[in-house]
Amino acid sequence: MTHTIIVAQKVVHQLRRDKRFLALSIVAPLIIIFFLKLFFDTMADGFPVERYVVPIAGFLVYFFAFLLCAMVLVQERSQGTLERMFVSGFHKRSIISGYVIGYLGLATLQAAVALGEALLLFHLDYSAQTILSLFLPIWLLAIDSVMLGILVSTFARSEAQVFPFIPLFILPSIFLSGLLIDNDRLPVWADWLGHIFPVYYAFDIIKGIVLRGEMFVDHWSNIAILVGYALVLLFLASATLKDVE
Amino acid sequence: MPVIEIAGLRKRYGKIEALRGVDFSVEKGAIYGLVGPNGAGKSTLIKALVGSLCPNAGTIRVFNLDPIHDRWSLRKRIGYMPQSAALYEDLSARENIAFFGRAHHTLQLNKKLDEILDFTELRDRANDPVHTFSGGMKKRVSLACALIHDPEMLLLDEPTAAVDPHLKARSWDFFREMAGRGMTLFISTHLMDEALLCDSVAILRRGQMIAVDTPQHILQRGKTRVVVQQGTQKQTTQIASTPEALANHLHQYGLSPDVQAVALQQDSLESIILSLVNKQEEKL
Repeated sequence: MTHTIIVAQKVVHQLRRDKRFLALSIVAPLIIIFFLKLFFDTMADGFPVERYVVPIAGFLVYFFAFLLCAMVLVQERSQGTLERMFVSGFHKRSIISGYVIGYLGLATLQAAVALGEALLLFHLDYSAQTILSLFLPIWLLAIDSVMLGILVSTFARSEAQVFPFIPLFILPSIFLSGLLIDNDRLPVWADWLGHIFPVYYAFDIIKGIVLRGEMFVDHWSNIAILVGYALVLLFLASATLKDVE
Repeated sequence: MPVIEIAGLRKRYGKIEALRGVDFSVEKGAIYGLVGPNGAGKSTLIKALVGSLCPNAGTIRVFNLDPIHDRWSLRKRIGYMPQSAALYEDLSARENIAFFGRAHHTLQLNKKLDEILDFTELRDRANDPVHTFSGGMKKRVSLACALIHDPEMLLLDEPTAAVDPHLKARSWDFFREMAGRGMTLFISTHLMDEALLCDSVAILRRGQMIAVDTPQHILQRGKTRVVVQQGTQKQTTQIASTPEALANHLHQYGLSPDVQAVALQQDSLESIILSLVNKQEEKL
């Protein structure tokens, strides 16, 4: 446990020190949401903006949390600090848990800021309870994304090797999530494929809240899947991270 | 009892056999040099000793422990400095060293940090981020990270590669001082002149040990060519590389029979440059 805290402190310390990285991590989703606003403003009156805005904000957090976490962990390997951590007595479970805790802070900040901007720019007038209900699936999605980033980093030897995983894991998830088109219109296999991505379940919660006035707690099965997804990814990352060549 | 014992060590990366049956042992309290050209298998051997890689065959015992199975016990007793700096560039020297110190649960960490920063002459830049450091300073931070928990043995992978002559000389002063405190140092280098500074040397080539001996004994395996010019006559003779052999050879040219040994101790180009740099610094 002590080693986990030492790694988490180091991650937070690094994020605070690298102000450019921190600022870009927060600002990049905000810029994209701003352009999203320009795009949706061109749509005809009556276009259901609320159906798309919050899920896309969630997806951006998912995308950036994955990318940043995977890249930083791969950098640990390529610079030799990961090997040095193992030789200094850190267990792989401590390293992974430390990264999860450290990046959870960043993912929480990203989720809060992106949701806040989306609500402000699109004048979405929700109650505090609804906003909290919207924040939680985005936050769970961000946690899954950090876990996925850690898992992917165990397969990549350099930062460049992280990029092929984006079209493999990240981009298909939005096309198969039921956001752009209803999954009923997809072939059965594509619909099932969509179910393997956490985005599907997070969007299902968000759609329920935005379109049907439900609350976060009404989606306990989706919540359980998102939490289970995080645990499975944590297990897989622990199993695949090599501490001995 | 040896602190390192290796027998029949083999490591293969795909089709490439990096170590091909390596055997040797290292005694406590010595500076042990692992010398060889790039690609000889030096880093692979050091990684096997610190438990970073699993050999395909053979046995390794470090302090009579297996580096893979007893890794948690062993890691408190060894310090490892990899070939690359392996530091967090955004963190300061102090923060980097403290991170690895905390990993080892180092007692009185702040006091130890001050001591180690003084020892590695990093006190003035201790709070600056590492990305602002020169290559030589990063090497010193890396060395400090390996030393923070007072290990019994240091394993240093090319610690003086790409380091200027002044810093290289200072580094070897550090190493000698640490060996004087009873620490065992296992140092890899591709610089043959550094082998002379070790107590014992192993020469590794293409994954095989081709010689293990003291530097003096290895030197004696070589030959010295003596070129004597008398008038227009020039005569070249090959003799053994010992002071006694040179004295014997010079007797025929009138050297007093009382002289039993003659040794020439010529400065290397590196030491001449180092001396010029030191003189300039004294003037400033």
